[in-house]
Formats: sequence, C-alpha cells, structure tokens
Amino acid sequence: MTNQVIDRIRDALRVVIDPELGYNIIDLGFVYDISVIDGAVRIVMTATTPGCPAIRFLEEGVANAAARVPGVRSVDIVMTFDPPWTPSRIEPEVRASLGFAAVN
Amino acid sequence: MIGASISRWTMSYFAAALAWLFVALALMVAGLGFPAVHLASPDTLVLVHVVCIGWLSLAMCGALFQFVPVLVARPLFSEKWALPALGLLTAGLVSLLAGFLGLGGRLPAWLWLLPLGAILLAGGFGLVVVDLGMTAWLRPVGPARFVLVGLASLCATVAFGAMFAFTHAGWAGSIGETILANGVPLHAIAGLGGWLTLTAMGVSYRLLSMFMLSPDVDDRKSNMTLAAGALAIAVAVVGGIVAIWLVSGLNVVLSIAAVLGLATAALYGRDLIGIFSGRKRRQLELNTRMAVLSFVSLAAAAFLGVVLVLTGAFAAHVGAFTFLAVFGWLSGLVLAKLYKIVAFLTWLEAYGPVMGRTPTPRVQDLVAEARASKWFVIYYVAVWFGTLTLVAGQPSAFRAAAAMMTIGLAGIVREVIRTRRLADVAGSLRLPNGACTPCLLCARA
Repeated sequence: MTNQVIDRIRDALRVVIDPELGYNIIDLGFVYDISVIDGAVRIVMTATTPGCPAIRFLEEGVANAAARVPGVRSVDIVMTFDPPWTPSRIEPEVRASLGFAAVN
Repeated sequence: MIGASISRWTMSYFAAALAWLFVALALMVAGLGFPAVHLASPDTLVLVHVVCIGWLSLAMCGALFQFVPVLVARPLFSEKWALPALGLLTAGLVSLLAGFLGLGGRLPAWLWLLPLGAILLAGGFGLVVVDLGMTAWLRPVGPARFVLVGLASLCATVAFGAMFAFTHAGWAGSIGETILANGVPLHAIAGLGGWLTLTAMGVSYRLLSMFMLSPDVDDRKSNMTLAAGALAIAVAVVGGIVAIWLVSGLNVVLSIAAVLGLATAALYGRDLIGIFSGRKRRQLELNTRMAVLSFVSLAAAAFLGVVLVLTGAFAAHVGAFTFLAVFGWLSGLVLAKLYKIVAFLTWLEAYGPVMGRTPTPRVQDLVAEARASKWFVIYYVAVWFGTLTLVAGQPSAFRAAAAMMTIGLAGIVREVIRTRRLADVAGSLRLPNGACTPCLLCARA
C-alpha cells in the first residue's frame, strides 16, 4: 500500500518542472527520497542552484502536487544540496534531448 | 535561506534604464555631445552621465537587487529601499543633467542644480550601497566579493563626482578646482572600471554558471582576477589622488593601472574559458551567445587600447576606446543578460504560483530566440561600426551607427515586452487556472 502511494506521488510530481531545463523534476532526478508513514509524506529533494529564486516555487509545487494524491494527509518537503545535484541524475533519454555533455 | 525572493522593483529599474538608453542613443543620433564636440564639453557630460548613471548603473542596480541574494543565499538587507533609491537616482540624474545643460548655455545657468543632483545621487547610491553591501557582507563568497569591490568603487566614483559638481557651482574652493582639473580620469576609471566592470564580471560568473550548469569558478582563480582588478582601481584612485596632491602628473599612475587592468581582462578571459569548457549544457541559449559577443568586445577594447598606447594615439582616440568598452562590453552584456533575467523572473511570477497544480511552460517558451537574435546582431554590428567611425574621425557615419544601434535596441525591447506579456507562449499553456500576466514594470507584492 505504501509503495503504491509513493508511486502515485512520484507520478503526481511529474507536473512540476524545472523552468530552466523544462523537464519534470522526477526525470531530472531532483527527488532524492519519498517516504510515507500513515499518510504523512516526507519528500527530500534538491535543485540545480542554491539561492535560485525558483526553489521556493519548486517546493510549493511539489507540496501542492503531492497533497492532491489520495491517501496523503500531510506533506513535509526537505530541500537539500547535500549531495549536490549533477546531470548524471537525469534520465538518459532526457539528458540526450537536453544536449548535455556526457560528464559527471 | 535556500531560495531568494523575487525582487519587486528589478523590472522598474530595467524599464528606467532602457528609457535612458533610448535617450542616450537619441542624443547620439542627433549629434549632441562627442564626437561632434570634445570629450569635456557640457553636451558630452550630459551624454556620458545618461549612459553611465541612467542606463548602466540603473540596470546594474536592478540586476543586483535580484542577484546579490542569489549570490550569497541570504535575503536582501531591506526590500524597502529599492524604490526610494530609484526615485533619488532619477531625480538626481535629472538635476545633474539640467546643471550640465546650464553649464553649456542650453538652459539658464542654475549651477546649484549640479550639487543638488550630486546630493540626490549620493543619497540614492548610498541606499543601494548599504542595502547590497550589508547583504553581501554577511556572506562574502565568490562573485559577491566582486560586488563588494564594485560598491566600494561606486562610493569613490560618487565622491569624485560630487566634488566636481560642487566645484562647478563654485562651492569647493581651490582644492576642488585642482581635483576637477586633473581627476576626471580617476572618476571615469572608478566608475567604468571598478563599479560597472568588476560588478559585471562578478555577476557574470554566477549567471553563466547557473544557466549553463557549469561548476563555479575556483575561488583561487576568481580571487586572483578580483585582486588584479581591485589593485588597478586602488592604484588609479589612491595613487591618482596622491599624484594630484604632489602635482606630479598622472601618467605613471595611469600606466600602472592600465597594465593591471589588462591583466584583469586576461584573467577574466581565462576564468570564462573555464566556465564555458566545463559547462554541462552544450547548446548555448541566445543570452549566452550574445554575452560571448560582449566578451569579444572587451577583448577588442583591450587590444585597441594597447595598439593606441603603443602608437601614441590613445589620447586622440580615448573616445573610441571608451565607446567600445561601454557599448560593446558593458551594454552588450547587460542587454544579453537582461533578456534572460526578464524571461526567468516573468516565468517565476506567472507560473511559479501554479506549479504542481497544472502543467506549465518552460522559460524558453516565453521567448522567441530566432526572432530576437537579429536585433542583437544589428546592435553589436552597429557598435563595432560606430567604433570604427570614431577611430576614423567620421562623426556623420557615427550618427548612422547610433541610428542602427537604436533600431537594434528597439527590437530587443520589443522582444522583452513580449516576454513580459507572455505573448509568445502557446495558447494552451499561456494562462492556466490561477496564473496571471505579470505587471509590465514591477513584480506583484
């Protein structure tokens, strides 16, 4: 049941994009961890650049999207830059379409 | 703080700055100021201050109110000071320009307008310096150090300028007369070299790394670049004042500052090569491609300066050198980055609040790069052509170049307004439920 909720949350988060890269944060590898205990969701996520003004909106967008999933009672977002995000976290087909160098 | 807020008045600063740039270009097209008259004439003073305060400084302040918090990952010291600062700077500039026009006989000679303008400008820049300085000082890392040195240079520039203004009004005595007679190059170096160039360099490190996903420049390397630049400004300003005091002439001081300035440009070029070669995004967006043309202009200005010095023609062509540095390097970079910053902030304002609730466009969907690129190319070609006309001593051709620059700028501004209006976003994504078109001239509170 918990895994199903996590999968649904993961799908719901695909509506949240990084505005600069233009792809959803799941395929970009921004979401480090999703855990659910009795409907209380905790999402550990990152972004490309600390201090970027988009971060607040990414957090709110993730909270909004996750809160709409049936079975979710509360959402706690943890934004972290440890470890820092690197393009190696991007899904390979997305990385290719973004024209990324095959580094890191 | 993990994410910076949207600066409410950055767009207002950008709009005011672009309006002043149109004024400057109109003056150049009309043949007012250099090269029709000499560099120290009141008409040229009008033109120079419209460009340096009205256009470049306002654009730089607007960008810094948004990006210093990003650079240091701390909130702005005070959000409330940005608008009063813009008011003071605008009023101060108008007063200063009216004073210069009086100096040249185009208006009644109310020379008290010059010190009044200087006081208003000092108040406006004072608010900017304290606000940005207190923000950056809390966490002076990497590019933020460039901003701090830039702000210190701004203080020196304003101090010289205020002294000149009081002297023109006859309120500064013989010391003022001496500094006015000899110190104009120091005022220009502190403003163009310290405030505008070093700050632009610092901000460019962060913006280029952010938008190309490059590793930040190694602190040791950027510190070396900054040290060379700061030393150049310090030698020019402090050494220059001492030289004026000792009546020994400025040649030695300016020569040392020039060598250090050249070293700064070379080290900056090395840092840029590192950023570009380490980038993860291989495809360059328009703003980055156009920023490259500004870097080329900086290199060309450095080359031109060296050639002019070696041929003993620098004094005769200092206007051409300054024009290329101001309009190719500084203005080119500011226009390229302004194009991107407006799109990015507009996206955040329009679509940030609805993220997670509905599909949203990308930042790139707000711009039409293929259409915008031609306006940038027209602008840069006009600047380079204008530089050649100045070197060749062809004032009429220079006016044609200025007209071409105006056309390029009008095209760029039209693109920026379209971005702000979300005019290029596909209909289905343009205004999803809950999203609204941002205000053209400021961000909503």
